[in-house]
Amino acid sequence: MRRFFVLVGVVLAGLCSGIASLSAVCSAQELRMPEPVPAGDDAIISAGGSGKGTFYLIGPGISRKSDVNLADDIRISGQDLRNAGAYLVIVCSSSCESGTLYVTPAKPYSLAFIVHPSRVPVARNDAVSGVAFPFDQYRNLVRTPLDINFELGTGKGSELSHSARTQEGAAWFRTSSGKSAEILKVTASLGDISAERAVQQVASDPCNLRITGGRTKTGIVVQTEPVHDCAGNPVPDGTIITFTAEGPQGKATVDAPIKKGIARAAMEGNGMETISVASGVVMGNELRIGAQP
Amino acid sequence: MRRAIHFAIALAAICAAASLSCFAADAVQVQIDSRKAGPRSMEPLTERAVLRDYRFAWASMARALEFNSLDPLQGPFEGDAQQWLKNSVLSQQQSGLSQRYVGQDHRVEAVFYSPEGDVLELHDTVEYQLQVSAGGKIVHDDHLTMHYVVLMTPGADRWVIRQLQAVPRF
Repeated sequence: MRRFFVLVGVVLAGLCSGIASLSAVCSAQELRMPEPVPAGDDAIISAGGSGKGTFYLIGPGISRKSDVNLADDIRISGQDLRNAGAYLVIVCSSSCESGTLYVTPAKPYSLAFIVHPSRVPVARNDAVSGVAFPFDQYRNLVRTPLDINFELGTGKGSELSHSARTQEGAAWFRTSSGKSAEILKVTASLGDISAERAVQQVASDPCNLRITGGRTKTGIVVQTEPVHDCAGNPVPDGTIITFTAEGPQGKATVDAPIKKGIARAAMEGNGMETISVASGVVMGNELRIGAQP
Repeated sequence: MRRAIHFAIALAAICAAASLSCFAADAVQVQIDSRKAGPRSMEPLTERAVLRDYRFAWASMARALEFNSLDPLQGPFEGDAQQWLKNSVLSQQQSGLSQRYVGQDHRVEAVFYSPEGDVLELHDTVEYQLQVSAGGKIVHDDHLTMHYVVLMTPGADRWVIRQLQAVPRF
């Protein structure tokens, strides 16, 4: 029993000394932290003591330990403060004192600019959108409100100019695609900083799809007139046009790609045939071709 | 009888492994509010995926900075965020320091979700206990409330953190 109480006493004493040493390590000392500094600038911290100490700097991208003279100011090089964020400063001598130094982004240097989509059919509502984020030269997000100018234009001139103020570092726009199938240049600018992206505007769905055709010795040949969208842009080569023939022998379908603006197909059948044409959900005219004499 | 014992041991081993792998993520509490997200509204499934990936990213960051290992940073972080975290770990290895994040409690608000859903900005107010050790000795142990501005983008199979910037206030 006596041995048990001795053991408990030893354990308690150990615990107390552990707690005491921990509190001694963290006991107070005077540390004067500066106001937030811009990224890349030097910062000066005053430890306000005497003798030697150990200085720790822990922040985004850095973790450093060095010996310091507590009577002297501690200068942190701007090279160590390039990432915006919170830096924990710890100075230890007989005890440790800590403080937080905030580093704010420097002035805007570049724009991250994302534009969607890379290809878009002409005359689509709210089809083109873009987001811009200003960053400083150290790739920190600049959150102070800034006016970003978005300009959209083709070779024929400017189609849209829109200014948006960044909120929490982001500015954005959304607009319809233009009328002509050509490259749309989208530019975001902030003062003399700018970023440019390109969107390929392509013809929309075919419009007024019309076919002509006739009988040959072996069957029927049908072809479209030059295929355009409703704005008059030629539908790109490779777009699939579907021809369907219905006659006494049943129904036959042929898919043909547009080549040089026209789709052409040869079909079998020697009876009275009705030919129809479609591209996606767009239907064209019907053509009746008589039976082979 | 022997088979039953083997089964029990195997079960215990599986449970232990599972609990270890989930421990770090479980220690991170995250609540997300996407009501103010715009111009695109956030679907509930997206919100759940962001919450899962954001929690995993913080658990991974805590593991990397505690054990001075680069491996946990592969995947949840990309771009500038991954670069500075790698630099943090490498410089901790050199200086013999480590950081331990205990009891993370994040209150996250989605403040911007781009029209095409390819960029998400979060504001995170987080509380945690931060312990800094130098050569095995604790030189700092404090409960902190911090504010982070976060940019996330969708990756191949998860949302990744591209920017993680502490700010004095929102």
